[in-house]
Amino acid sequence: MSLSDFTDLRLADLDRDGALREAADNLERTSRAGFFAAAAGGMAAAVALGRPQAAGAALAKSDVAILNYALTLEYLQDAFYTEAQRKGALSGAAARLARVVGAVERAHVKALRDTLGKQAVKRPFFDFRGVTEAPERFTRTAVAFEDLGTAAYKGQAHRIKSPQVLAAAVAIHSVEARHAAWIRYIAGVLPAVEPFDEPKSAKETLQLVRTTRFVVGRPRTRSRRRPRFTG
Amino acid sequence: MRERVSVRVPDPAGAVRAAASDDEPTTRERFLRRAIVAGGVLATGGVIIAGLPRLAVSAQSPEQDAEIFNFALLLEFTQAALYAETVERAELTGELFEFAKVVANHERAHVDFLLEALGDQAREEPVTDFGNATSDPDAFGAAAVALEDVAVAAYNGQAANLTKGALRAAATIISVHARHAAWVRSIIGQPPAADAVDAPLTAEETTARLDETGFVQEEQR
Repeated sequence: MSLSDFTDLRLADLDRDGALREAADNLERTSRAGFFAAAAGGMAAAVALGRPQAAGAALAKSDVAILNYALTLEYLQDAFYTEAQRKGALSGAAARLARVVGAVERAHVKALRDTLGKQAVKRPFFDFRGVTEAPERFTRTAVAFEDLGTAAYKGQAHRIKSPQVLAAAVAIHSVEARHAAWIRYIAGVLPAVEPFDEPKSAKETLQLVRTTRFVVGRPRTRSRRRPRFTG
Repeated sequence: MRERVSVRVPDPAGAVRAAASDDEPTTRERFLRRAIVAGGVLATGGVIIAGLPRLAVSAQSPEQDAEIFNFALLLEFTQAALYAETVERAELTGELFEFAKVVANHERAHVDFLLEALGDQAREEPVTDFGNATSDPDAFGAAAVALEDVAVAAYNGQAANLTKGALRAAATIISVHARHAAWVRSIIGQPPAADAVDAPLTAEETTARLDETGFVQEEQR
């Protein structure tokens, strides 16, 4: 199953916020600047995930781009499960999955933000258009998200300069795969189809995300602002 | 919050922290590495595969890739044997048996991949004894969870030690083990993904975990 299997998702819609395009552009730019990254991403870089005081300072530019790309995907997953949990339309195994996986994806967002510090990309706005409260569509979308997350991390692992960032990325990568298998089991589809899981490039990944039209230019299902007038 | 803490500890064994230092391998590690290079039967009734790079900073090289892949091959051989024997005995039923049949093929493919990558450097298949783990549902479930979780953690623990090409290949295998782990955990009612990160294991820790299972009787190289 892939995101393109969804008949209600169209390619035509735009990433109006520009967040996805920006993530893709940054990845491309920094991969051309590999020599700089190699120099800056020395083995002794004192970067540890979740150590805010050192946040981002010693990261290679290419690692920053990869982490921001990962962060964009984690934002998407975080928002999806968090909204599903808040709407409360799921029950049983799916509700439990949304609760547990939501907490994990929020933890991934936090870890990536802590690591990136001021270099972290902003959270885009999302509009899931009812998918988070329609159990069957929720499950199918979650399968697609987790398969995609696994393939996306896998596509970047070998490009990461910092061994610490790499260690963290692989430790997250396999958790995304666990989620994929878990939700597939709930959905009644084979949790592990092939002996080898193929990677996806950032371009493919972001194109697929774009087709969902879940990333929007302004908030629809939640507001960042307080009401102007309150009782 | 606990979430934060669990992410901050992707490496309780200290490999990541150690990555920032430039410590030389200990004398014992160097010794064991020499012992492995010397070859021969290393252990009976247990597994010794120490001597693999423990630090995430060890310089990557094709030689080190081979050591790591040979280490992975022992895990893959053991898993392949567990599932093949289970399928052959055909005493399990339902979801667990379906799982065993699908995963047996995956593990065989992993073994074949590593054998091809290693050529004449490949270790020999170990002698295994799974007892009732290939016929009793509870014992099988526990064995599959143990071996799949260990495989994920072991590969994760070596990721930074691999050359980029080897890492690309290993990554296509790691997530399949994670899928297997979550799948069998779902079947037997265990949390499929209990933590925010899959903490890595060092080679020594992996060896100890494998030893605990008692599945590997004799390991040769």
